[in-house]
Amino acid sequence: MLSAPSASLDARAADRLAGFPAFLRANGFAVGGGDAVQVLRTAERVGVLDPQVLRLSLQALLCGRADEWRRFPELFDAWFLPANRWQKPERRDSAAHGLSGAQPGGNAARRRDDDDAIRPRQAASRDEVLSSADFRALTEREHALDIEALMRRLARQLKHIRLRREVRARHGRRLDLPGTIRRSVASGGTPFELAWRDRRRVRPRIVLLIDVSRSMVLYSFFYLRLARALSAELGDVASFIFHTRVTAVSQALHDPDPWRAQERLHLIAQGWAGGTRIGESLLQFNREHAPRTVHARTAVIVMSDGYDTGEPALLSSALAQLKRRARRVVWLNPLMNQPGYAPVSQGMQAALPHLDLLAPGGDLASIGAVLPRLIDALH
Amino acid sequence: MTSPRAIELAALQQELARAGYIAEPALAAALLLMQDLQRPLLLEGDAGVGKTEVAKVLAQIRQTRLIRLQCYEGLDAHSAMYEWNYQRQLLAIKLLEHDERGLQRKEQDIFSERYLLKRPLLEAITADVAPVLLIDEIDRADEAFEAYLLELLSDFQMSIPELGTVHATQRPWVVITSNGTRELSDALRRRCLYQYIDYPDYDKELAIVRKKAPAVALALAQQIVAFVQGVRRIELQKRPGIAETLDWTAALLRLGVSSIDADGAERILDTLSALIKTRDDRAAFPREVIARLAAAC
Repeated sequence: MLSAPSASLDARAADRLAGFPAFLRANGFAVGGGDAVQVLRTAERVGVLDPQVLRLSLQALLCGRADEWRRFPELFDAWFLPANRWQKPERRDSAAHGLSGAQPGGNAARRRDDDDAIRPRQAASRDEVLSSADFRALTEREHALDIEALMRRLARQLKHIRLRREVRARHGRRLDLPGTIRRSVASGGTPFELAWRDRRRVRPRIVLLIDVSRSMVLYSFFYLRLARALSAELGDVASFIFHTRVTAVSQALHDPDPWRAQERLHLIAQGWAGGTRIGESLLQFNREHAPRTVHARTAVIVMSDGYDTGEPALLSSALAQLKRRARRVVWLNPLMNQPGYAPVSQGMQAALPHLDLLAPGGDLASIGAVLPRLIDALH
Repeated sequence: MTSPRAIELAALQQELARAGYIAEPALAAALLLMQDLQRPLLLEGDAGVGKTEVAKVLAQIRQTRLIRLQCYEGLDAHSAMYEWNYQRQLLAIKLLEHDERGLQRKEQDIFSERYLLKRPLLEAITADVAPVLLIDEIDRADEAFEAYLLELLSDFQMSIPELGTVHATQRPWVVITSNGTRELSDALRRRCLYQYIDYPDYDKELAIVRKKAPAVALALAQQIVAFVQGVRRIELQKRPGIAETLDWTAALLRLGVSSIDADGAERILDTLSALIKTRDDRAAFPREVIARLAAAC
């Protein structure tokens, strides 16, 4: 298969070139089996004498998204330039950083150990913590079916929003003339069967913002499992985790292989179970992710206990900004189930005016109970 | 050593520059490859970095037509490919009522090319000379449409039930742009050449300003570009693109501003609406910030 286009290339060069797509694949690029042929064909056209031109051409050919585009030059050099020939493939964790947009190495463990002993477990702390959380809970069998069933219910009941734009429909409010004419062909030009148009309906896009700080440690796995189950049901779900920073986890959660999903989450879990800065995290979300992920049909669901060590004013303005962009903003608070709970923490007080719904949701039963209200609020 | 391809590449860059587009070598290489492999080119990047412009200038240097399909939410196959002109068809049916010809002949007449309204995609594959087909902001269209497009882009043929299959006489140059508001499918990405267009660096932007606004003195152009580059370093909701730079240049010219300095902060404030497009971003530019940026120019 590879012999035809490589006739004019030196055999060694052809070998080297043909191996390049596999090397990229090992580094997390989405390149397929047929790409080796395309690489050889391109090299033949472009020539292999000028590495700069070859690099630019292969970059256009083999990259498919922005993060691949940025990493390509380095990988090209690593594969083709003799000095680095034996360099090992880039480790997967940096690939995951590229995907998630997090800055690698930005948060060393600055916390002192004696500090930890003094602080109560439930309180929010300001420091970022480098800890490797246990993600096995993500794929635990227990409740898996219940969670899936509940999320399926949510997905099904999430009724479609009516848009102004019209599409063909079986029954509708306006006659679809072109469609009617086309159908009349069968009856010799007499329109027996009418075609209709009606306003298009679409499901809202859902953005999940999951608090994974230490005070949430009892609930965050549960929420992540919800997120994974929901994104399996609905196509248009974007998930993010936050503590002191925001990190996108949609792609990791979406991985069909549960073990790989676990592994990918491990890699992006820096600072997991540390302090909370909700306001700053939301501001960062507004800045980096919201322009792309949040539009006028987006329902944002924040899952957090509201224990914030940042400025309440910051949280308030960040939520106000988010509210202007999104269709609905809903907050699920796991602590609201507890008897005598009132949303008096500074964070919750700051958030309340901007929410469409504040609801409890610490476990399956309470989310099940709140589902009708949640669905109402999302419309 | 200069390879033939490198010479070709430099020639294309010059040609693009003559047509008014300052292209990086990467883009020129992709355009050449597009010709070799006959693949569509997918351009990604923030709004205002000149993605659409690539298609326009490509049409210009290839001396061919630009056919543009602007994508939007709910774009369906009918408004992108073809539609029957049903008003005329209705009229024809009425006129043919007392015609003696058989049903089959009548039908053939009604569903002939005379009554076909060509939408951009059909127009692009039936053109005699290969046109440039610009599919703008594909991320706005639905996934269903993307899948539809995929089929067209792989075979360059389209089937119209009443007429039969239409094959492309010439493969159009397809340029697809995306702002990344939605994740595109891997299938589409795999089928295209890819190019990420970033905000221009100082030298490139200066060259663009000089090219597009020749009336501006070099010193002022340098200051304008330095100022805009400074603005881009500030964290904003909407960073200014090249189009904004050019708008702002025009505004400054109109007001007769001859140099940007700390004293002129007042006049810069007046024209800032050409550069800064949201209220929150506007709040990030009090007079002191502008004076500081201007002083650094």
